[in-house]
Amino acid sequence: MSRSQAILTWREPEPLPRGLDAATHELTGRWRRRSAVGARLRHLAGQADDRALDFRELRDHDLRVRLLEFREQFRRGGSEGESVLLPALAALREAADRTLGLRPFVVQLQGVLALHRGYLAEMATGEGKTLTAALAAVLSGWTRRPLHILTVNDYLVERDARWLAPLYEFAAVSVGTVTGAMRPPDRRRGHAADITYTTGKELLADFLRDRLALAGTVNRHQRLIHSLRSPGESARREEQLVLRGLHSAIVDEADSILIDEAVTPLIISMPRPNEALCESARQAEKLAAELVAGTDYTVDARHREVRLTRDGEAHLAESCRDQVGLWRGAARREELIRQALTAREFFLRGKQYVVDGEKVVIVDEFTGRPMPQRSWRQGLHQAIEAKERVPLSDPAETIARMSFQKFFRCFHRLSGMTGTARESAGELWGLYQLPMVPILLNRPCIRALWPDQYFATESEKWSAIVDSIVQIHASGRPILAGTRSVHASEHLAGQLEKRGLEARVLNATRLADEAMIVAMAGEPSRITIATNMAGRGTDIRLGAGVAERGGLHVIATERHESGRVDRQLIGRAGRQGDPGSAQQFASAEDELVVRFLPAAMRSAFTRSPRQWGSILIRRAQAQAQRLAVRQRQSVLRADTWLDESLAFVPE
Amino acid sequence: MEANSTFSESWHRVSGQHLALHPAVQVRRQMFRGERWYVLEHPFTNQFFRLRPVAYEFVARLHRDRTIDSVWRECLERFPAEAPGQEAVVRLLGQLYQANLLQYESATDTSALFQRHEKREQREFRARITNVMFFRIPLWDPDRFLVRSLGVIGWLFSPAGFLLWLAVIGLALKTVVDHWSAVRDQSQGILAPANLAWLYLAMVGLKTLHELGHGWLCRKYGGEVHTLGLMFMIFTPVPYVDVTSSWSFRSAWQRVLVGAGGMIVELFVAALATFIWARSGPGVVHSVAYNIMFIASVSTLVFNLNPLLRFDGYYILSDLCGLPNLGGRANQELRHLSEKHILGVRDSSSPARTGGEAAWLAGYGAVSGVYRVIVFAGVLFSVADRYMLLGVVMLAVCFVSWIVVPTGKFVTYLGSSPRLDRVRGRAIAVVATAVAALVLLLGVIPAPNHFQAPGIVEASQRSQVVCETAGKVLALSTLPGGLVRAGQPLLALTNRELSLELVSARAALAEVDARLHQALGEQAANYRPLEARRVALTNRLARLLSDQSAQIVTARHDGVWVVPASSELPGRWVARGTAVGWVINPGTHEFTATVSQADADRLFHSHWTRAGTPLPLDAAVSDLTARIRLRGEAGVVVPVRSIHIVPAERDTLPSAALGWQGGGELAPAKSDPHGLRSAESFFEVRADLPSDPGVRLVHGRSGRIRFDLPAEPYLQQWVRLFAQFLQRRYQL
Repeated sequence: MSRSQAILTWREPEPLPRGLDAATHELTGRWRRRSAVGARLRHLAGQADDRALDFRELRDHDLRVRLLEFREQFRRGGSEGESVLLPALAALREAADRTLGLRPFVVQLQGVLALHRGYLAEMATGEGKTLTAALAAVLSGWTRRPLHILTVNDYLVERDARWLAPLYEFAAVSVGTVTGAMRPPDRRRGHAADITYTTGKELLADFLRDRLALAGTVNRHQRLIHSLRSPGESARREEQLVLRGLHSAIVDEADSILIDEAVTPLIISMPRPNEALCESARQAEKLAAELVAGTDYTVDARHREVRLTRDGEAHLAESCRDQVGLWRGAARREELIRQALTAREFFLRGKQYVVDGEKVVIVDEFTGRPMPQRSWRQGLHQAIEAKERVPLSDPAETIARMSFQKFFRCFHRLSGMTGTARESAGELWGLYQLPMVPILLNRPCIRALWPDQYFATESEKWSAIVDSIVQIHASGRPILAGTRSVHASEHLAGQLEKRGLEARVLNATRLADEAMIVAMAGEPSRITIATNMAGRGTDIRLGAGVAERGGLHVIATERHESGRVDRQLIGRAGRQGDPGSAQQFASAEDELVVRFLPAAMRSAFTRSPRQWGSILIRRAQAQAQRLAVRQRQSVLRADTWLDESLAFVPE
Repeated sequence: MEANSTFSESWHRVSGQHLALHPAVQVRRQMFRGERWYVLEHPFTNQFFRLRPVAYEFVARLHRDRTIDSVWRECLERFPAEAPGQEAVVRLLGQLYQANLLQYESATDTSALFQRHEKREQREFRARITNVMFFRIPLWDPDRFLVRSLGVIGWLFSPAGFLLWLAVIGLALKTVVDHWSAVRDQSQGILAPANLAWLYLAMVGLKTLHELGHGWLCRKYGGEVHTLGLMFMIFTPVPYVDVTSSWSFRSAWQRVLVGAGGMIVELFVAALATFIWARSGPGVVHSVAYNIMFIASVSTLVFNLNPLLRFDGYYILSDLCGLPNLGGRANQELRHLSEKHILGVRDSSSPARTGGEAAWLAGYGAVSGVYRVIVFAGVLFSVADRYMLLGVVMLAVCFVSWIVVPTGKFVTYLGSSPRLDRVRGRAIAVVATAVAALVLLLGVIPAPNHFQAPGIVEASQRSQVVCETAGKVLALSTLPGGLVRAGQPLLALTNRELSLELVSARAALAEVDARLHQALGEQAANYRPLEARRVALTNRLARLLSDQSAQIVTARHDGVWVVPASSELPGRWVARGTAVGWVINPGTHEFTATVSQADADRLFHSHWTRAGTPLPLDAAVSDLTARIRLRGEAGVVVPVRSIHIVPAERDTLPSAALGWQGGGELAPAKSDPHGLRSAESFFEVRADLPSDPGVRLVHGRSGRIRFDLPAEPYLQQWVRLFAQFLQRRYQL
């Protein structure tokens, strides 16, 4: 297999349409999302289904031969592959049946077609998205163009690749994986395969590192010139590349990867000594210690910002009168102090980070996992270290940066799957030109949604949740309680313990364990507590006899900023037509309410939670979403501006 | 990402770059309002960039052998407090690149270069389309011409030249003063159709010289001038010249002179034209010279010198007070003020650096905004007067670009501008309250609704004193102004002819009587004809006798004997039927008002059914009230008890005092020399006056009546006014 045929190619993303163009683009999106598309795909899937008998009677060997033929036809490209799409699909379905023991449903075939055509397939949890993606991946992998299947975490990367390997082997495509811990040679091998399982972050990081390795000759023409001018150097550079290029991507849980995680751009940084910065961080910490919240500065919880008052500014000017350098100018001085105050007000030990020996280690708020490799942006990390009085580490200096919004537009063909895409359909089209098509359920959902509960205080809420768990537990049904943070998980587990119940808390440091716990959450009488983010992509299969007792009960103990995440959690109950139920709890003291509702509304909530709860929670979520959309837009805008204005800098 | 934060996540993009200013870039120091600025100019592309000293310290250090990072660090060490942060540096470099002022080592992505070019062309095209009222077409590069011609006439732009200029202008002014009446008379014919072609030709020639004047001065101080073209100002082609290179002149006075260059040349030419005009007889030369004089003076004073429009005066003003980009920054300042104080944006920053500058900007922004609207509205309506369709198109364009687009932009801004993130609730509340208050105030709350009409006081009982017979006025039996009773003699006429006729008639009658007696005896056949003749003579005598008695003119009713020209009357011959004066009963008066058609509508709208009969203005019966103020005694309000609307259009004024010729306010018809017919027909409304009005009611006294109609929201009133305006002006 020669690798030189396609070394790091990608599509140069076109600028996003503006003005009237944007309006036309928006209309095009609505047309592309029209309901007839789903019907058309369903019809085609039905035709593929009709051909099932052509392959059912074939012996394994003959089926392999047929698949090889299809592969050749696909590899030759163009219309030839398209003309045999339906029989190829039918053959793959048969192959899946034989290798995995799972026969894809017709709706899954519909999903495959949607992915193949570059749609975002909306498929409910438990409808077999992984297998759907695999079939579509084979169709794409046959062409030998780079295909990446992006999942949310490393565990799923490895699990899916391992699980589907027999199918891929049978269909004569190679499969590789790339996970966080891998070294470059392994990564290169992973990307060299026809189909590569990885996460969005890893892929983007590899992409950025490859571009860094090309050092100034990123552009195709520049590279050509460079390779003619200094072939040796050029070859050496290309040796270092990890990726073949970007062509197609199938994004699992597309909304969380394409939207939720796209708020912050990916940054590759390198520590670099900067004594001046460290010194100023220490100094700022000392000066900030003199300031008092309320009088010298105000704290804006919603925007996570600290503002100096006039008194504070005056106080600061007074303290800095004898200082030199940076501290002389008001703007710079106040910036440093604000950073120190932000570190003090919004970054709490045990919540956002832990101090491990003499190091500040960031903790992932949602999974509770320590992330020793991560650091906050330049200056902030040092400000937190100064606050904790540990030796300051070298500031991480950014060496490459790209937003996910831009990155995902670098694919020639992007497709995705998700359970909950509806409310983001517009944004997904606008940014990525990804039209959504809903895929019907294989079996109708019979999940019961119990009425939402609203409380004035958190303690009332927790005791109601505990009561509810005790009651349902008595019936022998398994319960999954989704929390917002690791803290909340532990709190709930403690409360349950007082009532004599044992709960499994997802707090493991290893992903595999986490997924195991989630997978076991369907056993009778089991109580599992997990953060909303934990164990995504893992199915909860019901244990023996659970279905008769009513299936899994899901409790959402706190509402997320995005209604989509709430629905993802609820969707864990009643998968694939199983029985199940779910209930959501919220209180006026929840972070969502505190951050996104004005004081007047909050007090209305506290006074009569039953009456106002539902409306206000919806409002707070809308508010949060608006803020998030704006953040994503500003990331994109900043990106666009930089690209346009710094075009003289080779990226 | 804050604009002035010290560290930037994008720093890696530029930190290792070796950048420098393009070698051709010229840097000049300028002072604005006592502050130092640096202007970068790229002579090839005519792009400019203005820098603060701190930014300049950074830019000046850029060199191909140094990385951006090392330059930045040096700046930070030297000016720790003021040096720009990384974020600011990234932004600055981006802007310099966009302005084509940077030189960079890597061969850029050529496609990006083309993309940028394409984008700029698109932007310029869009600007051209949206600025259709000032469409520009570049035609010619006058630089070489200017250089060469300066060799010939350059000496004129010197102190000596200035003295010469002053002398010429002074002489021309004297000439104008000397011929002032001729100047004034000819100005009435300036817009006559026959003159229009000359006017236009003169204007084009003059304006070309005007533009060359800018060019010459700009070239003289070293600025290159590369574009001369046609600008379609409101669809009228006029020349323009691009002297943006003068922006980089160090001295503000040089920039002012370039701005004034057009007017200097134009006034000079106008002065020469004045001499020609004064020394030529009527003819084409005379007429063209006059046109040149006219355009140079009027257009210079009204347009070029006016800083509120974007003509020369604007640039002169902005250079004089050291406020470059005055208009743009004035708008920014207004926006800042409203954001800060009305919408509550806390970190909105003013474009002004000092309080004085802020005051200048805000004041200029407000005044020029209002002025622009007025001027454009005027232009719009005058275009619509001539070319209805064009006017409608322009109105549509203006409506979209001034009302629809800004409203849309404002709504988007209010709904989604990140600047309002923290205060969106308040901002929306404030704007919604303001809009609601406005709607309430204008559209819902009834506002006083009234109009006024001129009119005169007339006595209800009055009669014209008419001489029923011809004769010479012998004497006024009663002095004019005195009270007379019914039947009292007013004046006596004398008519010798009448006396003679009377004598002859009597004699003829006697003769006929005699012949009748004779006929009774002798010629019975003659009796009947004589009888008939006697009857005729008797009649004639009776008529003559009545004429004789009519020589004593008497009052028909009690009243005051009023004679307009009493002193001229005695001895004057008056023909039969001549009115010599009035007898006016001073007891009761009424007020006759002339209500214009536009206002009559409002009156009729609610009162038409009762028109024709007296309409009591009683609170019980009518919601209409009226009061009168008489001229000279406007402090006294005369209440009106009832009015009487004459239900027909009239065009004869009740008194000449109401027309222009009598000092009134109604335009008279051109055909009527007496000024008694109005140009526009009106409705007559008679109002009864109370017996004790508090003012002296004299017949013929003029005043104004004010009708107070039921209150009506302003919006409704304005819509009607506008509709009437359109109807009157464009027959819509």
